[in-house]
Parts: sequence; C-alpha cells; structure tokens
Amino acid sequence: MRVEVLIAGRGGQGILLLGHILGAAIAKYTDLHVLGSEIYAAETRGGDSRVDLVVADREEEADFIKVAKADIALFMHQLQLDAYRDLVRDGATVFLDKSNITNIPQRNWRIYLEPYTDIAEREIGSSRVANIVALGHLVKITSIVTPEAIEKVIEEIVSREWIDLNIKAFRYFLVR
Amino acid sequence: MRYEYLTGNIAIAEASIVSGLKFYAGYPITPTSDIFEHLARELPKYGGHVIQFEDEIASINAVVGASWACAKAMTATSGPGFSLMLEALSLAVITETPLVVAYVMRTGPSTGVPTRSGQYDVLQSTYGFHGGLVIPVLAPSTPQEAYDLTVKAFNISEKLRTPVVLLSDAVVAHTYGKVAIRERSEVEIVDRSKPSTPLSEYRPYDPVDGLVPPMACFGEGYSVLVESLTHDERGYYAPRSDAQRKLMWRLYRKITESSGKLFDYSSLYLDDCDVALVSYGSTALSTQVAAKTLRERGVRACSLKLKTLFPIYEEGISKLLKNVEKVFVVENNVGLYYRELRGILKDRDVVSVPLIDLDVPLPQEVVGVVDKWL
Amino acid sequence: MAVTHPLDPYLRVDRIPTMWCPGCGLGIALGAILRAIDRRIEEGLLKKENIAFVGGIGCTARMTLYPYFDSAHVIHGRAIPFAIAVKVVKPEMKMVIVGGDGDIAAIGGNHLLHALKRNADLLVIMVNNMTYGMTGGQLAPTTPRGLYTTTTPYGNPERELNVIKLAAALGANYVARSSITHPQLLERTIYKALAKRGLAFVEVLSTCPEIFGRHIGLRNPVDLYMELKKKVTVKTNPSIEESDYDWGRGFVIGEFVDRDEPGFLDTYREYISKSFGGGAV
Repeated sequence: MRVEVLIAGRGGQGILLLGHILGAAIAKYTDLHVLGSEIYAAETRGGDSRVDLVVADREEEADFIKVAKADIALFMHQLQLDAYRDLVRDGATVFLDKSNITNIPQRNWRIYLEPYTDIAEREIGSSRVANIVALGHLVKITSIVTPEAIEKVIEEIVSREWIDLNIKAFRYFLVR
Repeated sequence: MRYEYLTGNIAIAEASIVSGLKFYAGYPITPTSDIFEHLARELPKYGGHVIQFEDEIASINAVVGASWACAKAMTATSGPGFSLMLEALSLAVITETPLVVAYVMRTGPSTGVPTRSGQYDVLQSTYGFHGGLVIPVLAPSTPQEAYDLTVKAFNISEKLRTPVVLLSDAVVAHTYGKVAIRERSEVEIVDRSKPSTPLSEYRPYDPVDGLVPPMACFGEGYSVLVESLTHDERGYYAPRSDAQRKLMWRLYRKITESSGKLFDYSSLYLDDCDVALVSYGSTALSTQVAAKTLRERGVRACSLKLKTLFPIYEEGISKLLKNVEKVFVVENNVGLYYRELRGILKDRDVVSVPLIDLDVPLPQEVVGVVDKWL
Repeated sequence: MAVTHPLDPYLRVDRIPTMWCPGCGLGIALGAILRAIDRRIEEGLLKKENIAFVGGIGCTARMTLYPYFDSAHVIHGRAIPFAIAVKVVKPEMKMVIVGGDGDIAAIGGNHLLHALKRNADLLVIMVNNMTYGMTGGQLAPTTPRGLYTTTTPYGNPERELNVIKLAAALGANYVARSSITHPQLLERTIYKALAKRGLAFVEVLSTCPEIFGRHIGLRNPVDLYMELKKKVTVKTNPSIEESDYDWGRGFVIGEFVDRDEPGFLDTYREYISKSFGGGAV
C-alpha cells in the first residue's frame, strides 16, 4: 500500500498544523511509514501553504517527499485548488472547503464538498479550526489513521487552552 | 524505542543527545538554526552545555576545546559558516580531536538562496581544509538516516579521533519523517579510548599498537599537549621530513584504511541491473523513484544511495557496480562527486547527471536526463 | 648532581632552551608567570592538574610549549574560544591564555571583545612587543604610529590600539598593564590576576630586540630593555585615562581595573540552575 496525500490552502488556514498532526499520528501511532514536506510562502497569511505526505506500509515505499499523483487531497482554498489540481490523480478522494471554493474542475474525482470554514465558525465557534474540522472529515472517509491517534497528537502538540476546541472540531464529522 | 515525526534537522539534534553530546557551540545560520535551538532547550536537561559564540570560527574552536575537556562536542552550520571553520578543522585533524560538524548544505555560492537546497559543497566537506587529508563524511537522505548517521558520526569521531562531517542539505533538513528514537541503552555508543600509562609517561600522539592514540584530556593530570605544529608522539614540534612523513601517513591511514568499515549504503534492484543511478543526500530520494519508474518501463535500472561519501571505499563501490553496464551519477550540483567515482569506475561507462534545483529534483527530471543517454 | 632550577617541576625541561632569540623579553615573562602560579599552588588556591595554558600562534603563544601543564598550542587568534569551552565543561580549570598583541588583539580581536563582554573566566596575558616578531617585523595593532615596519615601509599611518581601554570599557574584572622591565611587579600582577573570577586581562610590555629593536635602532637587548624601562612609569591605582598608549611619552603600568562582578560561569550557571534546580551543570 502506498498513498500520496496533498493538503493545500492559503497561509493562515492552519495547513501546516493539519499536515503535521496527520503525519505525526501516522508516524507515532500506526505501523505505517511516512515522509513529508512543507511549502509555505514567506508571508504568514495569504501565500501558498502545502503539505505533501507519502504514506506506505513498507519503509522503502515511503520513498519521496512530494506527491506526484495524490490519492487523497484536501484543498481549503480556490487558489491552491487551481494551482495544484494536476497533482491529483483520477479516482482520487478529494475534500474541498465549499466556503472558499466555488469553481470545481471537471475531474474524475470522488469529491467531498463541505463548508469547513463556515462549520468551524458557526458550529464550533472559531473559523481558526476549519483545518481540524476538515481533518476529521478526511480521517472519517479515508480511515488512513484512527481518530484516537489524531486526538492523541492534538493533545500532545496543541497548547492546553485550545485542545478542547480542536477536539470538538475534529469530532464534528466523525460523530455524524 | 519510540517513534516520532521529525525533520532531518531535529533528528540530528535528538541523535546527538543519545550519542552523548555534552557541548554544542554555534552561530545561527539558515538552514541549521533549529538544530541549535532544539539543543539549547534540550541539552541542558542532560547536563550538557549549549553556547552561542560570536561567529563560526569561535564555535568550532570552542568545540575543539570542549573535546579536549572530555566532552563529546558538535556544531552545525551551512556553507558560509563551514568556510569559516575550515582552519580549525585542520587543527582538529592534526590534533586528532573527535568532534562532529553537522553541515546542512544550502544553495550557493556565497549567500546564494539561503533557504533553499543544493549539494554544491560535497567536495568542500572533506577537501576544503588545508593539509591534504580526508575527513569522514556521511550523508543522510531521510530523517531516519539523519538520526542513524548522527550516532554513527559520533562513534567514528571517537573511535578514530577525527572530526566527522554529517553532510545534510536543506531538503533533508526540512523533510518530515517517521524516526525510530532509541534510548541510550538501545544504541551502540563508542567512547574514545583512554590512556593506560602512568601520568608522567603519557604520550598524546603515540598510537601504541594501532593507528589511533589513546586520548587523555585536560584536568586529568596527564599534562596533555594539544599541538598544531607537526609533532612527534610526545606532541613536541618536529620540523623534520621523517617526523612529517610518520605523522602524515598515520593520519592518512587511520581514515583510509577504515573505509570498508565506515562504508554505508542502500540500494534497490542492484542484483539485476544494467543501468545504475548513483546518488546521495536528498537527490537520492529522486533517483530511487526514478529507478522504479525506469523499471516499470522495462529498463533494468537500479539505484545505489551512498551514505558514506568519504573516505571512498573504492573496492566496495567498484564491486557493487561490477555487473552494471552504465552508471549515472545524479547530484544537485555541476557534477562533483561524479569526478570521484569516474576515477574508481575506470572500466565502466560513467555519466554525470548534474541537476541544479533549489528543491529536491523531481524523479521525472532524472528519468528525462537518463533517457537521453539510453 | 644535575643542576636544577626551582621552577623545573613546572617546566618540560627537556625542551629547554626555548626557541626565543637571545635577549627576548618572553623568558622574563614566563618566569614571572610560573613563579606566580607556584605561589598560588603553594597556598593551595590552585592545583597543578587544574591549570592549563592556551596560546594561538606567535612567539608568545609558543610559551605553551614549555610549561609542564595541560597546554594547547592552537591556531592564530583562537585561543580564547578554545579556553572558554574547556572552562565551561570543567569549571575547576584555571585557563591561562598567553598570546602576543597580534594573536590576541588583531586576528583574535573579535574573540577578545566577546570574552570581555561575557566577563569570561579567563586570565588573558597579552605580551606586547609592538610588532610581529615571528614573521619578521610586520605591522601590529600596537605598533607606534609613524614607525617603520616591513609592511609599512614608509611609516605606520595608523593609530595604536590601546587594549587596556578596550578591556576596561567592556567590563573585565581585572585590567592591568605591566612590563618585563619590572619582573617582580609583573609576578605580583599575575599572582593577583590568578585569583580573579571573570576576565583578568594583563598586558605585558616586552622587548623584541631582534625585530622591533632593529626597526627602532636599538638592536642590543640591553639598550632596548633600558629604553623600555625609561618609558615605563609605575603608578598605584592609576585612572583609565592614564593608560594612554604612547611610545613617545611612555606608558603607565599598574592596575587600571579591579572589581568583582559575576563572571560568565556564575551567570551561566545561575540561569541554567534556575531552570533545572541546580542539578544540570
């Protein structure tokens, strides 16, 4: 098994944190192997943010740090969807933040279109956890890692006062 | 043992702690500062010292001093800083001082693109200092390798009383990966051998019955002499051809004759291969994938990733590639290590694949160049 | 019976005679340093195995070749960072740095500056012969203005570096100037400096008849020695303004600074132990 995961959005959307939580959960709490890389523009908000993960059950299959043809993709913004859509293979499972994406390309993808940012703002209480709402959806649909593993990592790396909010955001799709 | 999700840089920092690092001196430089910052936070918890010096020159000289005070010592830097350290590396070579320099290459020459990658300094890492000897150089391509090779670098430095360069690059520095973190008891740790002679009879550069002298350090009563001049076994200045010959050949032999023991590599499909892609560091990630891609297309390709770059284990590399028709040396520079391998593989068709990319070269780029030659 | 010298236990006697030229002031300086160390060892303040000499490159740095202690003869200008590291790892060590004016104040100037700023726990002895002796008489940062050197054949156009003022301004605990023309005073100065925490800086005016003497027409060692002696005025507690460096008007020697601020090790350990309950360092 070898899976390429692409996560992209604008700076300030918590893309790197999302990618780190997912990568750490896989590395620490599964038997899978993972290599990953981050790209971020110099400006904290607004530029490209992108995380690539290559996940495999055999170490020698987790062999590169950038996706060539993503099997799983999550786009949090229209700009990055437009920029990176050719890195997603046919038949891929693709998650799109409906709050920031209106123009969806005609591709042979399994698309999950949900307003992660609006959900985070209205249902969870802060648009800042839109990334974690989306992560919950991705984990529920793909089962690439268990929800428990993600929650352990959230508790390890998110500062104490924000843990509950993040857990709540993460569980939004999982409990539905 | 536990698993963590670490970058190559943090893997180096963690591995240095488990290796017994007790002294880190450094000067901030991209892309190594997170090694420094991680150790500044963590090393004091293990009784170690982390000090920021006024420049890289002071840092490396402090590392030499700390090693003579019995502390395992390290610094980390990139091209501009390593250039400043070269004089003291020469001092470490002639005084046989164990130390590790984590050298994270970035785009050069000069200030270049400080945040981005390249492998332009592969020859400088061992040939850069004056004096015409060889420093062992290890090159990781993943965070796990960064961890494992850091431990190995410390062990080599202690065993052979030599500086060792851990040659990483900006891609590996920022690559995340699953890393098996070991406890001290789970790792083989080598410590320098100590003298067994009475205090007054100790000769700091007398290898006794091997090539590596036992090492006493400051404050133990041995009246140690750290001598940058050409010296005899006592450490006394010896400006004579016979003394120079004796010292040079011992320093040369203790490294080169260990090349087989120091050699480390990994390969794919090497047993069934016509076309070998040889690489190291982050570029080796690309060549591994490129070899797979070529095989899918029916080319009998393989990849050889060198983790030990110097000293070059000539017989070993030659033997590994003995049944290969064509060798492509893929690297992110103008084709530097190719020159080293060309001399070893004289009877083989060796082709340089010099790529200049600020990031990790993509496998299709490697395939594209190799295609032209097939 | 073999002839012995009272300082023989502190010397690698098999390396004597030294490499220094006849008439060089360095022998007087080394004698004074070793006598001062001997007194501190006799008193019980220092242990022989805890004293280390570190020098860079130059005639003065070669002083590290002769004392029978832990010694490091390292590279030009870099004795200070080497010594700081030893001291941090082994705080029981007394680090004695010996270097010429070029080694300490020119190529090593940046390390000196930052060691002073840290008040690093070192005794820095800068023997100042006002020229580059080992390499044949080139310009030093301390060469008097106007003087001929091999690299300023039309006269030195630069002002002299007064390292005493530098050391005082950057906060060394102890700053003194002495001279090989006053060996007993020099010994007392080193003796006192050996007991200081923080950075103790001692400039030792010295004679290089072979090179500097030739430049100024005083090649006879006695003549140069007498000339320097004439130029030196001993003062008790002189002010820092009196440290002016002027070959024409002469030099005041004495203690310009003597204070007891926390040294680098004190503050370093304070911050670490604040965080780790004192157990880590």
